[in-house]
Amino acid sequence: MVILNQGYTSMKKIIISSVAMALLVFSGCADKEPVVDERVQQEVVAQEVESVRTEVVSGEDSSIGENSMYGSDSSEMNMANLEKELSTVYFDFDKFNIRSDMQDKVTNNSTVAKGTASSYTIKLEGNCDEWGSDEYNFALGLKRASSVKKALVSEGVSETRITMVSYGESNPVCTEKTRECWAQNRRVDFKLLP
Amino acid sequence: MRILLIFLFVFGISHASDATIEVIKKVESLPSIAVEDSSISYDNTFKESFFKTIVADLNVLSLFNVDRHHRKTHFNDASVMVENKDADYVLRYKMYQDDSGALNVDLKLIHKEKNVLIKQYKISKKNVFMFVAHTIAYDINEYMQAPPVEWMKRRVIFSRTVAPQKTEIVISDYTLAYQHTVIKGGFNIFPKWANKNQDAFYYTSLDAKKPTLKHVNIRTGQSKSIISSDGMMVCSDVSKDSKRLLLTMAPDGQPDVYIYDVASAKSKKLTNYAGIDVNGQFLNDDTIVFVSGRLGYPNIFSKKIEGNSVEQMVYYGKSNSACSAHGDYIVYKSRESSNAFSANTFNLHLISTKTDFIRRLTATGINEFPKFSVDGDAVLFIKNYKSQSSIGIIRLHHNKNYLFPLKHGRLQAMDW
Repeated sequence: MVILNQGYTSMKKIIISSVAMALLVFSGCADKEPVVDERVQQEVVAQEVESVRTEVVSGEDSSIGENSMYGSDSSEMNMANLEKELSTVYFDFDKFNIRSDMQDKVTNNSTVAKGTASSYTIKLEGNCDEWGSDEYNFALGLKRASSVKKALVSEGVSETRITMVSYGESNPVCTEKTRECWAQNRRVDFKLLP
Repeated sequence: MRILLIFLFVFGISHASDATIEVIKKVESLPSIAVEDSSISYDNTFKESFFKTIVADLNVLSLFNVDRHHRKTHFNDASVMVENKDADYVLRYKMYQDDSGALNVDLKLIHKEKNVLIKQYKISKKNVFMFVAHTIAYDINEYMQAPPVEWMKRRVIFSRTVAPQKTEIVISDYTLAYQHTVIKGGFNIFPKWANKNQDAFYYTSLDAKKPTLKHVNIRTGQSKSIISSDGMMVCSDVSKDSKRLLLTMAPDGQPDVYIYDVASAKSKKLTNYAGIDVNGQFLNDDTIVFVSGRLGYPNIFSKKIEGNSVEQMVYYGKSNSACSAHGDYIVYKSRESSNAFSANTFNLHLISTKTDFIRRLTATGINEFPKFSVDGDAVLFIKNYKSQSSIGIIRLHHNKNYLFPLKHGRLQAMDW
């Protein structure tokens, strides 16, 4: 659908105009390139079809982590059980400092990290609510992870055992549009890596 | 009143080339155009799709008042249809399938009973017909001697979130009518064209132990890892000559803007603030703009690549968390409210580094990810409004916005 939006403020009008049919095009890899008479056109379309071949990269890209990350089944199970003992830390809107009510969770997590989970690397995953998918929001998620890392280090967890990543708003645990839901998404999750 | 009109006239002339000044009165004086379909092959559904795409493209050109009636006539009729007698321009086309199965389009533009533009187009597969429509619109724009709309023929690359930690990277035309998923499965975000020709792109993979920047050559299908960083890795901008990248990396959990030299594979840190510095964009060869939280809220700043002093670029808006730069212009995203408990509005604003004018480009919903076209003629952006994700296009010199909704998923990031 094309929405024509002309003017602004009081001049604002929205006219719903024609519907541009969304045609999903999944062309096969072996298809011939389309040939176009016009030189300008040929450039555009020829490239477009060549791009079809890149489909093969997807499989290779998506599975790198899993093989290298996990070892034997028992170790994986042990890790999964330990992960359950590590609680998620939640944050306030637009903030990355650790709330006083979250302090106990951090202390508890650092005890687990130094104790039963001491042989694993800890991965801190920073997450945000849905307000923006831009880099700043990702950075906010990272600063949250970074605050948790600092707290863990101050509780005696070795810095070298901690890695961080930000998932921005792309890893929500709750997708409803409510304040409770957004609050659940502003969080740092603890994961273990061998 | 007369004085006011004269003032407005003079003001209009003196600021005619400044994109931060709005054009409001232009619409009424646009010439009309009607479209006549003389196609002989293909079913009505396909004919309708092609017609709608042509009409949409003509609308986006912003040069005409476009008649939306789908009228059919013979291609070789000497005169235009009765209903279109009053139209300033009539665009008549004939689609037909040749022996090889290719889609052919014959086209003429009729103005004052004369054929002023005659062209033929051919494409071997009919399912990429939208590129023919875009090319037709491009050619008509050129015939009308309007500023070039190179971006119309370019492709958009975007990532969409389909589930938590699951994304797809898709190449499409600017209307999202054509979509081809190039990377499926996994958690891959922030795609960015690697060069002007759009035959390679960068993206961030979050599947490995550390966020990793990858490079994919579309022609060969080859994928390679470029650089990794703990915490965060985004390719924010690629220089015009494709030789330098602006990256956001956070090796110690501290997000900063880095410049990366593609040939030598060496990176250099450009920002040093202890908070958030992200979203570097080349303003020109030696200056960048970026988003920083150094004032206690996100705002837009600039700095020389070689040098330490940082200059604040934007003085309006409480939370300006994304930007794109072209020549003297910067378009940025600004949060209009800072309430954790109600729907927030994010709007795009345009400023010129040469004047104090600010022009608001959007009015409702969450508008983000502004991105100038290569020629600075238009701004592409992502709009999320009531659970609907769309790509929007703003024709700066025509003061018009157009939206093209995404059928499923939520747009994460895009490049043009």
